[in-house]
Amino acid sequence: MSMTNLKSILKKDSRLAPGYIMLLIWLLFSIVVIGWIFAASFSTTREIFTNTLFKSGIHIENYWNALVHHHFARYFINSLIYTCTSSIGIILISSPAAYVIGRMEFPGRKLLINTFLVTMSIPMVMIVIPLYAVMVSLKLIGSMFTLIIIYIVAHVPFTTYFLTGFFSTLPKELEDSALVDGCSLYRAFWRIMLPLAQPGIITIGIFNFMNIWNEYFMALIFANKAELRTLAVGLRSSIQAMRYVGDWAGLFAAVVIVFLPTFILYILLSQKIIAGITGGAIKG
Amino acid sequence: MKSKRKFIMVCIAPALISFLIFFLYPVLRTFLISFYKVKGVADGMSLWEYAGFSNYIYLKDSPLFIQSFINMFKIWFIGGIITIFFAMIFAGILTSGVRFKVFWRSLIYLPNTISAVAMATMWTQYVYNNQDFGLFKSVFRALGIRALADIQWTSPQFIFTSMLIAFCFGSVGYYMLILLAGMEGIPKELYEASKLDGASLFVQFTKITLPLIRNVFRICIVLWTVAVINFFVWAQMFSPWPDPNTITPVYFMYSVVFGVGTEAIPTDVNVGMGAGVGVILTIVVVVLYGVINLVIRERKLEY
Repeated sequence: MSMTNLKSILKKDSRLAPGYIMLLIWLLFSIVVIGWIFAASFSTTREIFTNTLFKSGIHIENYWNALVHHHFARYFINSLIYTCTSSIGIILISSPAAYVIGRMEFPGRKLLINTFLVTMSIPMVMIVIPLYAVMVSLKLIGSMFTLIIIYIVAHVPFTTYFLTGFFSTLPKELEDSALVDGCSLYRAFWRIMLPLAQPGIITIGIFNFMNIWNEYFMALIFANKAELRTLAVGLRSSIQAMRYVGDWAGLFAAVVIVFLPTFILYILLSQKIIAGITGGAIKG
Repeated sequence: MKSKRKFIMVCIAPALISFLIFFLYPVLRTFLISFYKVKGVADGMSLWEYAGFSNYIYLKDSPLFIQSFINMFKIWFIGGIITIFFAMIFAGILTSGVRFKVFWRSLIYLPNTISAVAMATMWTQYVYNNQDFGLFKSVFRALGIRALADIQWTSPQFIFTSMLIAFCFGSVGYYMLILLAGMEGIPKELYEASKLDGASLFVQFTKITLPLIRNVFRICIVLWTVAVINFFVWAQMFSPWPDPNTITPVYFMYSVVFGVGTEAIPTDVNVGMGAGVGVILTIVVVVLYGVINLVIRERKLEY
């Protein structure tokens, strides 16, 4: 690299210095907080209080404590069941609807799109009370289906809206030629259009997965029994108990168990996740 | 043609039926319940007792409910300015030509991907902790800033501020992403031309960027409004029991309907009042939406 080149880079970067400083502060803060929580989760409570993390080596038993004694293994499996089942359910309901809305003309089409749009801004408190009564009358309270149904229904409007845009951009010739070849509409959709919309389905699928994994309000109301709890609700109900018995190391291990799955998913798929958010928000 | 109509019906039906049963019906029923006195959340209509506007009158006269609204408004206004300001700054930094842009973008969005319960636990149990290991306490002490080191972040005096800081920190990334997408849509030539004219970064930002991201800015305010109306988890994590300092309408509604008997919530409340809170919030959303549309008109921009 020539001297003048380096100079011009330095000159350009000095103009950007205040920006770099802010970014570095953000980075430092994130590393310190996440790093400390990790370190604390492998130390003992005494070490946390005396600022001597790691002094007696690494204590994996904090995780064992959280997973077994504080039932976080159970909460983890529950969260996994809720999140996977409803993420798939949403796509199964939304994609046929999005396909039809995006590519076919029928009376009430505009109304349907607008209804889905309005739905997104209605506060959840507006539906939660009757929903509880509906679930009681369907005898679903106390079953995992309650939360799965709620997550599916809550995410169908936005997912349908998002996928509608996706389906409407696909070339029309593909479908026509499939129909000429004697494919039924169902087959053309399932075999040709759905695979073509795959990028969109994956993007919105990951987006829904993260949202549902982190969802709290509905889970608190509809799954607040030990055997039904999600990780988020489980963490909140354990904090007081863990502080009371003075198991701070276990508390921080529990925090790591709650955030690690989405953290890893985010590191692996951040580009897809960010694409889903900007795509959705700008359109919506 | 007949088979096509059938196909459309088959495709739409699941989405439509689930929407009607689990969305439209509950919304209408909540509206209805708010005019009745209802003891249990699962009570059938035969157990409802008509009460006219008495639930709304009770809410109007309840200091805790009024406080929850004041808190929500403060979060909306103060928190909104802080969050969108920083989101704008960071989006501006990322479009100014810094290196490793993709990395920085992912880093600033990171807090949004972590469960709010885990985030709030990190803040309350580590960052704000009053023990010697608390982050703020140890950092400010090491820097010798006594005034800041002595702050009891989770005491009644500071808890609202603490909660607001933590919430804003966790939200900045989301709005930054949206603003960033808007800024990236602005043609580069505009910046290059203004640079030749000797415009500083600040002038470029105020004269080119801001006017051209007007529509995206509007979207941010709408999304912020929806987020604040539903504000609940942070309030509950910072105050495990309803506390006038941090309570929000959704927390109030939750306590009335699902947690009667907790200290701050009087026992003469009923489910109808919780429904009333929902109706009031819906009206607030509609009104705010109208105001936002009036103040920041959507404009077709061409460049």
